[in-house]
Amino acid sequence: MDIQNTQSQMRKGVLEFCILSIIRQGEVYPSDIVDRMKAANLHILEGTLYPLLTRLKNAGLLTYRWVESNSGPPRKYFVMTDKGLEFYNELERTWQELADAVQALTQPPVTSVHEETPTQP
Amino acid sequence: MKKVININFQGRVIPIEESAYDMLKQYVESLRKFFANEEGRDEIINDIEGRIAELFGDSLKKGATCITDDTVNEIINSMGRPEDFEGEESNVHSQLGGEEKEYKFNNTTAGETTARGRLYRDDNEKILGGVCGGLANYLRIDPTIVRLVFALITFMGGSGILLYILLWIILPSRPLEGISSTKRLYRNPDERVIAGVASGIASYFDIAVWVPRLIFAFPLVLGIITSIFRGAFWMDVDPFPGIIFGSFGGTLFVVYAVLWAVIPEAKSASEKLEMRGEKVDLNTIKNTIQEDLEGFKSRAEKWGGEFKDKAQQFGQEFGQTVGQKGQQFGAETGSAMKRGGRRLGGIIAILFKAFFLFIAGILAFALLVTLLAFMVAGVGVFPLKNFFLEGFSQNFLAWATLLLFLGVPVVAFITWLIRRIMGIKSGNRYLGFTFAGLWFIGLVCGGILTYSIVRNFDATAREKHEYSIVQPSTGKLIVKVPDSKVKVYGRWFKMDGIVSMNDDSLFLNNVRLRIVKSPDSAYHIYSHKFSSGRDEGAAVKNIHEISYNINQSDSTVWLDRGFSLKKGTKFRNQGVQLTIQVPVGKRILIDRTVSRRLNWFHVGNGYDWEWDEEWNSNNEDWNSNIEYIMTPGGLERVKTKEDIEEEKRRQRDQDREADSENAVEQYKKSKEELQKEYERKQREAEDLKKELDKPVDTTRYRYKKATAMNEAETKPVIEERKESHVPFEASRLLMMQMVY
Repeated sequence: MDIQNTQSQMRKGVLEFCILSIIRQGEVYPSDIVDRMKAANLHILEGTLYPLLTRLKNAGLLTYRWVESNSGPPRKYFVMTDKGLEFYNELERTWQELADAVQALTQPPVTSVHEETPTQP
Repeated sequence: MKKVININFQGRVIPIEESAYDMLKQYVESLRKFFANEEGRDEIINDIEGRIAELFGDSLKKGATCITDDTVNEIINSMGRPEDFEGEESNVHSQLGGEEKEYKFNNTTAGETTARGRLYRDDNEKILGGVCGGLANYLRIDPTIVRLVFALITFMGGSGILLYILLWIILPSRPLEGISSTKRLYRNPDERVIAGVASGIASYFDIAVWVPRLIFAFPLVLGIITSIFRGAFWMDVDPFPGIIFGSFGGTLFVVYAVLWAVIPEAKSASEKLEMRGEKVDLNTIKNTIQEDLEGFKSRAEKWGGEFKDKAQQFGQEFGQTVGQKGQQFGAETGSAMKRGGRRLGGIIAILFKAFFLFIAGILAFALLVTLLAFMVAGVGVFPLKNFFLEGFSQNFLAWATLLLFLGVPVVAFITWLIRRIMGIKSGNRYLGFTFAGLWFIGLVCGGILTYSIVRNFDATAREKHEYSIVQPSTGKLIVKVPDSKVKVYGRWFKMDGIVSMNDDSLFLNNVRLRIVKSPDSAYHIYSHKFSSGRDEGAAVKNIHEISYNINQSDSTVWLDRGFSLKKGTKFRNQGVQLTIQVPVGKRILIDRTVSRRLNWFHVGNGYDWEWDEEWNSNNEDWNSNIEYIMTPGGLERVKTKEDIEEEKRRQRDQDREADSENAVEQYKKSKEELQKEYERKQREAEDLKKELDKPVDTTRYRYKKATAMNEAETKPVIEERKESHVPFEASRLLMMQMVY
């Protein structure tokens, strides 16, 4: 069992959710997404982001518009569609459940705590 | 010191170090391969390129004079290499539904492709379905080898096609990275004698140029020498087939011609590099061009005026190279290429395609076999040609027809096949035109030849010749054909009417026999020799060449087996019509050997002239081994012993049939009679009974007794008859059964 592999698996699971949550907050440029995720200490390769965005766009969850740029070719700014919002809400609920479950499981069991208390002097 | 070039990247001119450009190019290419099966591949690549262009812009804005290796490396690292994506990509989209599973599948495997491991069909290196290309990529060998192996399996057992189709369906398709170090086979235009085939092969196999040249040339030289020797010793003036069809030399000649047509010429600098197996990149191309340039210079000094042409050629080559590079790059960056994930939907289409190709292949193969058969037949008839053809022009036309009309399609087909096998897609346009043109010339030659041969049969003449025979004393003439002393067996090519054939004569048994009624009381035999010719004179001359005789011993006439055409005499439908006149009342027997050893045939319409007054209804078809007798009404069969016996038997059968019919009637009759008699007797008995019942009269007792006795006497008689007629009936029935 490779620890790094497991770690990246865990990160990957929430990657989409994180990206969607950033886009939900407003129109955004892909490299900004990378920056913001980096700031939140969640690293992603830009090369992975583009295909991901394209797929989400093709699935109808995102849409984009061209914005002229003075430092290069026109930029694509992504924004969320209604369908994407629905999708996001679904993901958020799942995440909440998952987080709760993980929380509950990773905490020391309450019952055992109770059992242990009487034995303590 | 580094060279800086300007590139047009995402609509902007960017100064970039050459090595950095190579790196960038490679990177984009690797991305393209990674996302090969992704639905929005071009969009993704475009987005990434856009971002890179933006980063370049930033870098230049910050004061960099050009994009360096470091800049590109930095950008690539921040974007991530396909190897880095791999882990990250694989499970990202598990939530996007079933469609995503395919991405997952494809993307996980994409990375492995570059690292080798899975078997795919190669989208980049394909002729049909890319199966061979994929296998070659998997095995890291030249696709041509795999193709040749497949072709071999197909031609040996035929299972190759099935295997191919199976793999076509099973294996997923994706563009694979070619083996960059693969050498390709080109013709070398720089070192050539005829077309540079030998030198191209030499550089492909890394051997000295003279080796393949010698292999090609040696049998040719040998062929020429032997044909000269043959010509010297046998005075056989036929050098044309000697050189070209001198078995081995001929094969190699054809091989050279095919290779010439199949192998592309290494025109551009990059092709020349591929030919030598050197790595193709900008620097090496430049070096090659410089080498070329120097070579051109020295040649220019040598040949002066030719320099201009060569320089132009060079300019074209260079332009082509640059143009190709530009195109390549354009193809890489542009969004023209459309590759849908047509995996599932494509299977049906592929099946149809495979089926179509299969059928087409079979048709093509059948065509090839037919043509080959024609070729072989043509060669088979070849020994006969001297008897058919007259003069140089006809010989020439015959060769032209054989080579062009029949040979060209064969060569064209082989060429096409090899081109397909070698994976040369863009055909030389002129090649097709050349083949079509040559074939058309062959067709015209064939037409002219046919016409001129037909013209040689224009006029027809015949000549009557009467043989003197001794009248047979037995009143019966037997006609036989002697056995020949020399027999030729096992000639695969058989033609009716030709008994044997050797170098200087053709033996024909084109003889027909007919039997007619004699005008007088003697047997007569005469022949009509006939022949066609260009004109009457030629026809008559041909007739005089025919020598056909008969021999007689007692009542048996021996006919010649045929007649021979000497060398120099042409075959012009020569034939002999033998007529035997049989007087009325005399007999004739034609032996089986006649119909077995003589054979009637003619080319063309035959002879439809009037056969004089003798050609009347008397000329009935005769069968061999049957004795005929001439009657005033014509030929009639003579009853042989078997015939008589047969007739007798038939008569017997008829009689027996009649007999049995009589017997039945007789039986019926007798039965009726018996019935009547029985009834009559019964009536009598009743009468007697009545008498008996009359009042008893003693005076009549004696009488009564007498009648009683009488009755007792009669009854047994009836019974006896009844008994006897049962077996009688059974035997009748038995007989009836036998009859029917």
